[in-house]
Amino acid sequence: MSTKEQRERIELLQGTLDLLILRTLLRGPVHGHAIAKAIEFDSDDVLQVEQGSLYPALHRLIKRRWIAVEEGTSENNRRAKFYRLTAAGRRRLTIETSKWDTMAGAIARILRPAEQEGE
Amino acid sequence: MRPQHWLYTIPLRLRSLFRRRDVEQELDEELQFHLEQKIEEGMANGLSEKEARNAAMRAMDGLEQRKEEMRDLRGIHWLTDLLDDAHYAMRSLRRTWGLTAFVVITLALGIGMSAAGFSMIDGLIFRPYAVPHPSSVVTLVSTTHDSSFDNFSYREYLDIRGNTKSYDGAIASGAIQGVGFSVESGATPRVRGGMLVSGNYFRVLGVDPQLGRGFRDDEDEVPGRNAVTVLGPDFWKHEFASDPSVVGRTIRLNGTEFTVIGVAPETFPGMLMFLRPDFYMPLAMARLFSVNPQKNFLEDRDDRELSVQARLNPGTTLQQAQNELAVLAKNFEREYPKLNRDRGAAVRTQFETRTREDYIEWKFIVIFAVLSLAVLLVACTNVAGLLLSRAQTRKREIAVRLALGAGRFRLIRMLLTESLLLACFGGLAGIAVGYGAIRFLQTFSVPSELPVTLPFQLDARVLLASLALSALSALFCGLAPALQSTRVDLVNGLKSADVDVPGRKRLWGRNALVVAQVSMSLMLLTASFLMMRGFHNGVAAATGFAKDHLLMARFDPRLLQYNPAQTQRFYKLLTERARATPGVQSAGLTQRPPLGLGAFDRLAFVPDGFQMPRDRENYTATMDTVDEGFFPTMGIAILRGRGFQASDTADAPRVAVVNEQFAKHYWPGTDAVGKHIRLESASGTSVEVVGVAQTVTYRETTEKPTDFVYLPLAQHPIARMLLLLRSSGDPRQLIEPLKDVVRALDANLPISETRTYEDVYRYNAVEGPGVGVELVGCMGAVGLLLAIAGLYGLVAYNVSRRTREIGIRMALGAGPSDVLRLVMGKGLALVGMGTVIGLAMGCALEQLMNFMLFNAGGVDVVAYVIVVPSMFLVTMLAAYVPARRASRIAPTQALRYE
Amino acid sequence: MSKPNDLVQGTLDLLLLKILALEPLHGWAISLRLKSISGAVLQVSEGSLYPALHKLEQEGWITGEWKQTENNRRAKFYSLTRPGREQLEKEAANWARLSTAISHVVRLEEA
Repeated sequence: MSTKEQRERIELLQGTLDLLILRTLLRGPVHGHAIAKAIEFDSDDVLQVEQGSLYPALHRLIKRRWIAVEEGTSENNRRAKFYRLTAAGRRRLTIETSKWDTMAGAIARILRPAEQEGE
Repeated sequence: MRPQHWLYTIPLRLRSLFRRRDVEQELDEELQFHLEQKIEEGMANGLSEKEARNAAMRAMDGLEQRKEEMRDLRGIHWLTDLLDDAHYAMRSLRRTWGLTAFVVITLALGIGMSAAGFSMIDGLIFRPYAVPHPSSVVTLVSTTHDSSFDNFSYREYLDIRGNTKSYDGAIASGAIQGVGFSVESGATPRVRGGMLVSGNYFRVLGVDPQLGRGFRDDEDEVPGRNAVTVLGPDFWKHEFASDPSVVGRTIRLNGTEFTVIGVAPETFPGMLMFLRPDFYMPLAMARLFSVNPQKNFLEDRDDRELSVQARLNPGTTLQQAQNELAVLAKNFEREYPKLNRDRGAAVRTQFETRTREDYIEWKFIVIFAVLSLAVLLVACTNVAGLLLSRAQTRKREIAVRLALGAGRFRLIRMLLTESLLLACFGGLAGIAVGYGAIRFLQTFSVPSELPVTLPFQLDARVLLASLALSALSALFCGLAPALQSTRVDLVNGLKSADVDVPGRKRLWGRNALVVAQVSMSLMLLTASFLMMRGFHNGVAAATGFAKDHLLMARFDPRLLQYNPAQTQRFYKLLTERARATPGVQSAGLTQRPPLGLGAFDRLAFVPDGFQMPRDRENYTATMDTVDEGFFPTMGIAILRGRGFQASDTADAPRVAVVNEQFAKHYWPGTDAVGKHIRLESASGTSVEVVGVAQTVTYRETTEKPTDFVYLPLAQHPIARMLLLLRSSGDPRQLIEPLKDVVRALDANLPISETRTYEDVYRYNAVEGPGVGVELVGCMGAVGLLLAIAGLYGLVAYNVSRRTREIGIRMALGAGPSDVLRLVMGKGLALVGMGTVIGLAMGCALEQLMNFMLFNAGGVDVVAYVIVVPSMFLVTMLAAYVPARRASRIAPTQALRYE
Repeated sequence: MSKPNDLVQGTLDLLLLKILALEPLHGWAISLRLKSISGAVLQVSEGSLYPALHKLEQEGWITGEWKQTENNRRAKFYSLTRPGREQLEKEAANWARLSTAISHVVRLEEA
């Protein structure tokens, strides 16, 4: 059962992963692994970002020029790729955020009768 | 997944599997509906029909694509995977069809043999009584110091029925006995098998007649009052052509009119294993069917002829019933100290009844079961070995699949599917083999007018057992190879197909397999050889009397209500006239010839001057009642003294003839002639031993020498006798003259069992037991075949695996003989080891068989002298062929070999 | 190329289960209902609706039955099964958990 839930979670994240990545990069450039860590930390471990979906997403965002890559040194002095938000990315973030709000709102509206039923 | 989930999904899956067309059509219809709605909507918004249709199609993103997507979704992945596996397995099995055929045949033999074995065991031991709740039916037995399965008398039965609380009813039944049956009063009666039963018989057993009714409880209360009968289903079918109007008609049994009140159901063949009653009569009618005119069946407490069975109360344990019955038996002993001395009683389950130690079948079954399991085991190890070898050669294929990302689990499943498929084929073929074997067993018709049936059949229970065996053997054969071959080291597996990374452990396992096979087959072979030898020795030794030129015919004047004096006169006239018939050399009377059908009576006696041990009143020995013509006619030699004479009449001093074994047993070292025995007890009638007859085999050719006593017919009148005629020509030609003789004496007297002694002997002593012996022999042969094939396969495989090594050795200068030695050496060691173990197991089995069957005593050296070297030779040959092939490999070819 | 606004499978399942929990509907009506409830925001392509329904049916969560529509046409009406009801509760809870988490991340700095 747990694997199935996981699969659903990943599927769901595909639509919103862009949003989450852009949002995380708003706080400054970080390397790839740190993005996943940050999302997990910020969501109290509810959202888990698999490497397998993180890097394709980063790639996609780079192609659309919403984020950019630069070489840098990590805390422990290892060379790493750092990702940062571009200006286009910043604009995209506001669009994605409002989209998320409307979607979440719409779904919540549909679901509301269920909550009433449950009570 | 919750079970209720399946409620919805299973019908859907089944539907998508089997009603594919319907499902597709509904899909079409559903999408069509949507499109039409969409088009209507579009047209309502002002689009033309064409525009609306295009828009609708666009919105769908391609109709066909969606349908395909939905087909994929139909969620029968597990099934399609399985089908894929099966398909793949079929393909790879077909590719190696030779191996497949071999494996299937091997499994078929193993499973078939076991199925036949199981059907035998099931029929003789496990198949429950054909009544509702069979497990609550127990058998009550009377026990004595020398029998733990004696019957009860009618009076004892009534006491048991009236004084026990453990049962929902206790029933009694007599043995199946020959009864003169006719429909019309004038017709010559024919002998059919009837059974006396208590009035509550059908009610307590829970058997509802298919026509009419069963007996009422009160119908066995007043002697002679209720002349009613219930017909057996087979008898009804054959004798009355299943005519339903038979109920209410009268038939004549032993000359008395009986009203047919019912027909037992098809499902109830009776409670006996081999005999199915033709009709049932109430116990209270017993006087008409009495076998023993000196006893009053309904009154004498020691006329113990009833088998008593009872249905345990739901709340009562076997132990409680046991205790209650033991108390009752103590009461019997107190009240009737003379009749019930040392007599106890016990409650036995069906299993205990059927495995009572005096049934020879039971011992035979144990041996048979062990052997058939051994065959299956050999077959399985064989197949496992072959699959293992095959898995080795498929290492590369498996490595490729693993490298391409197939999960190990998936691969194991695939390989297991393969062995399951093999087992399925093997199981199906095995059922065919088993069916054949069972049919073979059933072809033995018993030469008796009593309705004898052999209880072997291929029923659901046997089928189920065979299927379970197949599944088990699939697992057994397939799991080890599957586990092992998927544990492939990827790099090595891909690099070279067949170079084995040396693994002592793996080789050890395969060697153990060969050793196990050789030893198992050796054991099988020894066992079957011993059995055949023992049997043929027995048959050869069973001479001692002449079997040919003998005609038999059975008479029972009681069927016509003859009194004892009439009976005596009848037999006197019959033998006189028979002797005077042309072609008859001599004539004699016996109750039962040696190695004939049925059981001998037992005689209780005390040898004169013997001090009986305190706890027993008498000894017993098997006995026969014969006339003065018996010994010469049967050709049994009188060694000392004389046989019977016409002068041994009822008024003359009582005499007996004993066999040599008896004489040696009771009067060792002295002449038995002139000694006396007293019948029943030390105070009984004194009988003089006037002759000692040669000891022959009485019940079966393989029995140990048995004590035996003959009494003269004139002094020990018996109504039911068998006439033996020694002919000068074909004994069958005496049948008509004999009938004329009998007709002249009494036209109404039935003649039964008219056949040659040879026929009876052949069935009873040779073919009957011979079936078993032949089966075991078959199994031995099958075992040997399997072992040879297994060894051959293994050595051949070893050679092919070591081809490169052999090539290198030869390139470095080793000659063909070196290679031969190298390859053979290994095989030799394995065969040697298997032989030693097999020898030990064979010896152990022989002890068991001696103990149970033959009592030949000691080890049959000849068996080993013949079996061991031939086995060794043949298995070595199996190793030699591939070894020789290996020695001929050209080095260049071997090194290139991949 | 996935359309950014395409609802991902899990969420679509959730919505369909929810809609059918209210009343049995045929596919066309479901597509209309989806649109009317969520407006233009949640555009479920009509093509992906039927495979989604089919999947739910195969899982045993909804069950289809052919009936007459109000204007006397034959159509397949879907209704929620008892396991479907349980699944709906599970998915709704799951959705609540995830959407809360995402919203939390998205609003981190504003908070």
